[in-house]
Amino acid sequence: MSTVTFRVVRDIGGDDVSTPGASGMPLLQVENLSTAFRTSRGILRAVDDVSFTLDKGETLGIVGESGSGKSVLVRSIMNILPRTAIIPPQTKVILEGRDTRRLSKAEAKHFWGTKIAMVFQDPMTSLNPVKKIGTQITDPLRFHLGMSKSAARTRATELLELVRIPEAAQRLNQYPHELSGGMRQRVVIAIALSCNPTLLVADEPTTALDVTVQKQILDLLETLQRDLQMAMILITHDLGVVAGRADRIAVMYAGRMVETADTASLFRNMRHPYAEALLHSIPRLENPSHTRLDAISGRPPDMVKPPPGCRFAPRCRYAQDRCVTEPPELLTTNEPGHSFACFFPVGTPEGEAALAANLAAGMSATGLDLHAQAVS
Amino acid sequence: MAGTGKAHLRDSDDVLIRVENLVVEFPAGRGRVVHAVSDISFDVLEGETLGLVGESGCGKSTTGRAMMQLPRPTGGSVAFDGVEMTTLGGEDLRRMRTRMQMIFQDPVSSLNPRRKVKDIVAEGLSIWGSTIGTFSTERVNETLEAVGLDPEIVSDRKPHQFSGGQCQRICIARALVLDPKVIICDEPVSALDVSVQAQILNLLEDMKARYGLTLVFIAHDLAVVKNVSDRVIVMYLGKMCEVAPPDALYRSPAHPYTRILIDSIPEPDPSKATEDQAISGEIPSPINPPSGCRFRTRCPKVQDLCASDEPVLREVGPGHYVACHFPNEVAVSIER
Repeated sequence: MSTVTFRVVRDIGGDDVSTPGASGMPLLQVENLSTAFRTSRGILRAVDDVSFTLDKGETLGIVGESGSGKSVLVRSIMNILPRTAIIPPQTKVILEGRDTRRLSKAEAKHFWGTKIAMVFQDPMTSLNPVKKIGTQITDPLRFHLGMSKSAARTRATELLELVRIPEAAQRLNQYPHELSGGMRQRVVIAIALSCNPTLLVADEPTTALDVTVQKQILDLLETLQRDLQMAMILITHDLGVVAGRADRIAVMYAGRMVETADTASLFRNMRHPYAEALLHSIPRLENPSHTRLDAISGRPPDMVKPPPGCRFAPRCRYAQDRCVTEPPELLTTNEPGHSFACFFPVGTPEGEAALAANLAAGMSATGLDLHAQAVS
Repeated sequence: MAGTGKAHLRDSDDVLIRVENLVVEFPAGRGRVVHAVSDISFDVLEGETLGLVGESGCGKSTTGRAMMQLPRPTGGSVAFDGVEMTTLGGEDLRRMRTRMQMIFQDPVSSLNPRRKVKDIVAEGLSIWGSTIGTFSTERVNETLEAVGLDPEIVSDRKPHQFSGGQCQRICIARALVLDPKVIICDEPVSALDVSVQAQILNLLEDMKARYGLTLVFIAHDLAVVKNVSDRVIVMYLGKMCEVAPPDALYRSPAHPYTRILIDSIPEPDPSKATEDQAISGEIPSPINPPSGCRFRTRCPKVQDLCASDEPVLREVGPGHYVACHFPNEVAVSIER
């Protein structure tokens, strides 16, 4: 355990702009959250010193590739990690004034569901295949809220109507395999909402679904969130999914938050080269067909041995010598609420000069071949 | 939609695959039948990328598999390079399939976890190598290098040691090793992150140029299909809605369903946040598809005619065909 070192607290993204909630404090406050796992190859730092706040009714989009630590981050917040997870004592996760990490087992049992609930990626595996839909929705109602069997059943029908499932009453007697993927995800959402949580965590809720169904589910989540005044953390690898829906976006790379801002300013003044690269890798409809995509070359680093400097440096077109040795801090810009961790940010004189120098040399300081990337 | 018709078939010497009146039905028990693909026709020119796009259950994957005779279609014909595939059997069919390979959606589960990468890639060669005379370790290594993997490092590893994107590269190498003419890509990027998706799409374009491939690209995301295709077919519930060059399809979608597919794509630009209505309801059961136009139950422009008469594909612009009684106006002036 002593081998795990964590960086000193710096900036808390968005803290200075967030409008205080009704009680004068944010709904969720995450400070210096770090999560590591002991593996046979050494300590794997999945999440490294992440801090942010979330207000009542606000939507935070967390964006990053597979392995960027976004799912471990929300599982740490929910406190549903395997026992092998190592979380240092300075980590604080405060939801409505309570530190979720210091709840007793008995308290935690009712904390999940009534305060914080989660929707997972794959609606088939998050439902129990051998239990009827009705049982799966009434279980939390009876357990958390102590409802009677008949009251819970009435409420379950209402919940299915809330998530716009047609013929709600008949659905209670069906099994998950009798429903389509989109309908199953609606059921999962209904279960998550059953006990009126104040925070809904949606971990890639639409990745397994078609684009048309994705739009239905995202629209549904947005409406429900507004009507029920829930806060929401929406995790995705697709910047397009959060662009029109989140109030604020945090971009994660290799366990760290690399840029965070409110949605409009992030897209207006994208600073981190990784955020820019993610955006450029999306195929755009307005481009003619056979337009070559700006793929990010390489892969995320091995989190057992992350690079010592900026973790994105090996894949970054802007990388300079400084990026290889020194890790950049997440610092606030003159734009309130907008922070990023980069020495040579996109769209600044330093960044432009760094990119121009790398393009002239044909490679970045880490040896990334820029010419090959542009041509091959 | 629910279109039949052959107005869009091309009369060219370059036609590599011609599919006519393809019907695929599956028994569903108690005498019921799943109408997965109902009477569709299309052709693929040599060197072309044909995109098949639609929601889950529209029959796009079944169409791709029926072209490979996996399983054999219930009716219709599939002519590949002048040879009728549906009547071929045994060794003749297997030999034909070496020239037509497939890549699947989930790269991890389509690789045998207990075998080494070099054996997975060499599988086709070890079966066919002696007859086509190209079996060699060099051929395997060359193919692995072509898809961006270092043979020295990857040859002796097993699939679980690779990420999803790398597994998809291995699948592509396996498909390429027999030097096929056609690769059918069944949702090759929908299980991948956007950043990896871009790498794989670029790789497919490179491989197409390098090996002179013809691709059939199946996906549910129109933005992805548009990026790689020369011609796009929009499918719904086993029928064809619209056939068009990708740029025309995006600029002026004639079929209401195509419009909905385009509007569903999340736009990575908050200033363009659309207020478009999501499509309502679910795709109807293919056991009992709606009469007339199969899209009528969800169509915003539905009329009485749509329930009684099935629309037939007709030309609305250059190379642009639609099966709809009330198509959106196609901006022909911009087309030129």
